[in-house]
Amino acid sequence: MQFFVFHLMPWDRLPDDFDEKYKSAWTWLPNSTFEPVHGGELYNRYLDELVLAEPLGFDGVCVNEHHQNAYGTMPSPNLMASILARQTKRVKIAVVGNALPLYNPPTRVAEEFAMIDCISGGRLIAGLVVGGGPEYYSFTVNPTFAREMYSEALDLVLRCWTEPGPFEHYGKHWKLKYVNPWPRPIQTPHPPIWVPGAGSRETIEMVAARRFSYMGIPYFHIDFFQRNFDMFRDACEKNGYTADPLQLGWLCPIYVADTDEQAWAEYEPHFNYFRKKLLKGLTVFPPGYTSAKSMIGINQALKQFLLNVETREEIEKGAYAIVGSPETVRDRLTEYIKRLGVGNLLGLFQLGTLPADLTQKNMTLFAEKVMPALRQNCAPGRL
Amino acid sequence: MSISTASFETLKLEVAGKEIHMNVGGAGAPLIYLHSAGGETEWMPFHKSLSQHFRVHAPAHPGFGRSTGLEQIDDIHDMAWHYVDLFEQLGWQQVPVVGFSLGAWIALEIAILRPGLISQLVLVAAAGIRVEGAPVAELFLSDFKEARDLVFFDPESPVVKTAMPLTFDDSRVLMWMRAQEATARVGWTPYLHNPKLPQHLHRVQCPVEIIWGRNDKLIPVAHGEYYAQNLPNASLTVLEQCGHMVPFEKQEEFVQAVVEFNGLESGTRRTAK
Repeated sequence: MQFFVFHLMPWDRLPDDFDEKYKSAWTWLPNSTFEPVHGGELYNRYLDELVLAEPLGFDGVCVNEHHQNAYGTMPSPNLMASILARQTKRVKIAVVGNALPLYNPPTRVAEEFAMIDCISGGRLIAGLVVGGGPEYYSFTVNPTFAREMYSEALDLVLRCWTEPGPFEHYGKHWKLKYVNPWPRPIQTPHPPIWVPGAGSRETIEMVAARRFSYMGIPYFHIDFFQRNFDMFRDACEKNGYTADPLQLGWLCPIYVADTDEQAWAEYEPHFNYFRKKLLKGLTVFPPGYTSAKSMIGINQALKQFLLNVETREEIEKGAYAIVGSPETVRDRLTEYIKRLGVGNLLGLFQLGTLPADLTQKNMTLFAEKVMPALRQNCAPGRL
Repeated sequence: MSISTASFETLKLEVAGKEIHMNVGGAGAPLIYLHSAGGETEWMPFHKSLSQHFRVHAPAHPGFGRSTGLEQIDDIHDMAWHYVDLFEQLGWQQVPVVGFSLGAWIALEIAILRPGLISQLVLVAAAGIRVEGAPVAELFLSDFKEARDLVFFDPESPVVKTAMPLTFDDSRVLMWMRAQEATARVGWTPYLHNPKLPQHLHRVQCPVEIIWGRNDKLIPVAHGEYYAQNLPNASLTVLEQCGHMVPFEKQEEFVQAVVEFNGLESGTRRTAK
């Protein structure tokens, strides 16, 4: 069992009239909302929170890529990962991930990831993603080509890491005469590949066939994760092997305090800022981003999306967030980790406006009072 | 020419590996109707009305309706070449064409590639160009009601239901999403236009009738004015109290304009504008 601290690096100062004035925290939210000096303070604070993961005993940290939004202010997770490569010595650094169709040419991803792997001494986990729906509006990249661009870029990045250069890449979307990226990664044949997914069958089957790892995208009902992870295990069996739990990751908001009541009281306003403001506009799916049939399915699943869930009871029942005393969090996580059969827990310990002191307290309580028990309860063979 | 109960049939054609569905109805001179981004590939009331004057051919573009082959289409040029193939296959030369919105843009691209194919052209609320100061609004909205408010002058008009779904429970949603996808394929970027189209407009020598809704919020009437000024042989008719969805919102005026432009007698008098 591996434990990661995942950070979105959210914007924590949306205007009071945000709800009435803006339909989305994405793409079109005016960037005059971003205050650079405060933004700089936030980046440094959030990096401190990730650096703290190492002395607390976590196995790794995660950063990710989003553009033109208040939900996650890391257009370049690679910049963050390179700082973390210097400021940590032991933890794995998962960039989950780089949105391949947004890199032109995508050999850039092979280069930057290899740099991070070299600087960190081989601690990089390379997330290779399609990118969220809103990014296709933000970058004006044609979403009807998203899947084939992703597929072409993924093959190209892997080839950069495994095949001696220079070589020619001649694809539909990129035609590159001399591919010969320096540096090459330390890890062989290449850093582990993580692919986050929201349940599309095509993605699950690709990840299983290539023996990569599949990370369930959060904010859906626990049953939706169960369905997707079962589908992944089936797909691995069809490819002639049994899935390793380390091939599966569950990304989930977590908050621990001394008692259940205290935890909810401290967490709820910040969690509500996150789900009612920052999530607004995340679930935009431009035409052709997935097939028309999948879109209709996604629209069904969205009825159980966190943005559309109202009560604390619903949040607890659907495991949209695990909140409570160390005992409560330990018991619920033990149950869900076993039920889902995942080998990676990606905890969001900071969300929305949750301030530095509560975030550090949360991480510390989790590391000291929850994680050791989970390591025992969920050790291999006990899943 | 008075077919009061005009019916239609759907033909299935194979065009260079694509399966193309085309509705054909009515009698008389042929008329080709090229549909919009909304994907009106069913036999609509205005098709029926046109078919009382013409033998109307209304093919669904690749990726729209039940037509396949979007994987062979990467941009508007592939779409235009598809029609060059289709016209050749059906032996169409010097035929009149009506294009609405996306369909009008495709018709212009065809007329530039193969000037001999189109005898006269009706452009209704045509996409295809970028006019400084009169941007095309965002069509790729996931919200049906926003889309409705954008394209109709009167969003409460009963014709709205004929034209588009308004909820995810509507059985036409799958076709609507296919239409959005196929439109994005050729029109996501550059957004619903070909930056080089203006420099080619002088090649469109056939007579062109341009029809626009005064209140078109999707493609402002300034685009119609640009086309009228820059196409060598064009005139513009602007319909009052009308949005983007001209064939639905102003069916009678639309059909009458097509009939008169093609030199046919019209059954009714043109209403005052």
